[in-house]
Amino acid sequence: MSMIRRLLALDGVNVICHFRDDGYLIEGYGLMSHNDMGRLAQFAHDYRRMIQGNADQLAMFTGMRGWTPPRGWVIRGVEQSVCGVANLVCVVDNADAPLNEILMELQEVSHW
Amino acid sequence: MTTLDELMRLPGAMAAFEFRGSGELLEQRIAYPDRINESTLDLLAHMCSANMSIATMQARGWEKVTAMTGFYPIKEFTLIGFDWSVVVSGLNREQYKQAGKFSLPPFVGVVLANEKADYEAAFAILEKQEQVQ
Repeated sequence: MSMIRRLLALDGVNVICHFRDDGYLIEGYGLMSHNDMGRLAQFAHDYRRMIQGNADQLAMFTGMRGWTPPRGWVIRGVEQSVCGVANLVCVVDNADAPLNEILMELQEVSHW
Repeated sequence: MTTLDELMRLPGAMAAFEFRGSGELLEQRIAYPDRINESTLDLLAHMCSANMSIATMQARGWEKVTAMTGFYPIKEFTLIGFDWSVVVSGLNREQYKQAGKFSLPPFVGVVLANEKADYEAAFAILEKQEQVQ
């Protein structure tokens, strides 16, 4: 069984995708079409790069250490959130999701 | 107790702050002035304001192209840095917008040490419903 698939066992996790360094979808599971998983992977890849740029500039302009390299990001919408860590991205339902646990799992799985 | 003071009681809270939609820092609480100062918070606020706008564009675009719902409006943006995280919310602004108000309250955010960060607790404080005035 795929290692990332175990994230679907966490409450509220609806989709989990793993993508290459160029944003190409490697594998994805959950309640979303394959086409949309491809879009999600590309989005997460682009967003990760943007966040990295933001954190690098913040560190450069302020001289404050500890922002880079960033570990992840969360965009929390009205009912659903998107969480990215390394080359993983997941979509979670806000109502049920234990977000602290999900982020810890994403960190752990991203090292495999 | 104000929201900023409540946020400062979170485990690992380094600073809490309010800022305009255009990014200017309005008010702040700082727990460790030797680590994070007003000028850093001001730049962080500008970065977060930009990210809230970009995330809004992405949520609207995503909903349009996929026909999925539940992403827009954006409630919070979180950046998890190497040692620190920042969580910012524009939820109160949305309530004012939906009530047809033109004058919106500020964004509110908190900087947390990752070691102790409790994101769910931060969201719970930031998502407390405020009465629209």
